[in-house]
Amino acid sequence: MKKLKDTENILVLGIFLGICGAVAALVLAFFDDITREPIKKMKMQAVNSALEQVLPAFDNSPGDNVFTKNGVTFYGAKKGGKLVGIAASGCTMKGYSGKIVAMVGLDLDGKVRTVAVVDGKKLSAVLITEQKETPGLGTVVCERKQQKTIVNIFEKPDKNASALPGNKILDQFAGRKPGKAPWKVSKDGGDFDYMTGATISSRAVVSVVYGIAQTFAANRQEIVKQLSKAKK
Amino acid sequence: MSMIKEFTKGIWKENPVLVMLLGMCPTLAVTTNAENGLSMGIATTCVLLGCNIVISLIRNIVPKKIRIPVYIVVIASFVTVVKLLMNAYAPPAINKSLGIFIPLIVVNCIVLGRAEAFASKNGPVSSIMDALGMGLGFALALTALGGAREFLATGSLFQVKIIIPWKVDFMLWTGAPGAFIILGCFLAGMNKLNMRKAVKRGEVYIPPQGLDCRHCRLCDIGKQEEEQ
Repeated sequence: MKKLKDTENILVLGIFLGICGAVAALVLAFFDDITREPIKKMKMQAVNSALEQVLPAFDNSPGDNVFTKNGVTFYGAKKGGKLVGIAASGCTMKGYSGKIVAMVGLDLDGKVRTVAVVDGKKLSAVLITEQKETPGLGTVVCERKQQKTIVNIFEKPDKNASALPGNKILDQFAGRKPGKAPWKVSKDGGDFDYMTGATISSRAVVSVVYGIAQTFAANRQEIVKQLSKAKK
Repeated sequence: MSMIKEFTKGIWKENPVLVMLLGMCPTLAVTTNAENGLSMGIATTCVLLGCNIVISLIRNIVPKKIRIPVYIVVIASFVTVVKLLMNAYAPPAINKSLGIFIPLIVVNCIVLGRAEAFASKNGPVSSIMDALGMGLGFALALTALGGAREFLATGSLFQVKIIIPWKVDFMLWTGAPGAFIILGCFLAGMNKLNMRKAVKRGEVYIPPQGLDCRHCRLCDIGKQEEEQ
């Protein structure tokens, strides 16, 4: 053992390092193998929980009723065999730190779905499922988060409260239908408010939601037909 | 007794962040709030524990000349395994907040530092105590840093608003400049406390030798041998 520790023989060193690499590779292959299925399941779960939040009540599994068009993935929700709503997931690379992925619930006529009306404010079925924006600036545009305070932390959660906390930027889309002109933030001459200090993130969010809604509006018949057809 | 010493030294006397100044990259980047700091601390502790155990077990058979690459293989494998297991089995909320930090640990030099400075010279039991102590010290330092930054920026701690009328975030503290300023204040405070303690004992305070960057010989391995 002492010999191996102090050896300078380049061949022995090379072989030792090779064995180390091989053992590491075997261990990694083993763990990759046993975790592959559970990881897939976890990812599916994340998609499903997002779908539940943006879609009306359904009794099929929209996660399996999928149709992709122009890079946007559409999920069909059915109740009693009839298509009741569509969720669509698309992404943009225009975020402040690259990729932003959005999940949008759409009514069959192409309007962005309104989930609920709380205190006269509409909550839209728009979720950002993936983003790397600046914490405190870009994330304010993207996240739906209930603000916890020292006062309400001990209170029991209100059961009547909507599952979706509000977000000033994301809720602007409620009930909107894409027209001819692309949606823009007011700084670019559009009519969507943006967050000061997070113009790029706001722009990206508006454009990704527009892209999704526009793709649906342009290919509505085909998408509805495809999603109605599936038995699931 | 010495085991307890191995454990407690990481918390204050040889704290990896505030005394040894190791792992500055994740420290500065991650501590935007207390929750992130704690998450990073826990993730690092797990990896540190595993690596210290494995390396202290193989310390007698690894040839000296290639020990660093071997340690890096061990560390990288451990990090990948932890990441896979977390993706597969951790609850989504925890996975979401911890997940992004796991790959960062590969480049965290605390893990390699402890492997080289401690686990390669000591048995498994004291290496476990060392890993737990260092991990705890790292987690505490990061949580404190994150907490200070989060509180100064938004008036909240662990995402819970403490000062309710605080509406507009003070973004300096969550950005990179805030990280440097707060870390500097922490280091100054730490030195001041240690100095005062030393004066009370009637000694002159000297920062621990052979622990910080100035005494790190990792890069001089080749040179030393030439001189000899």
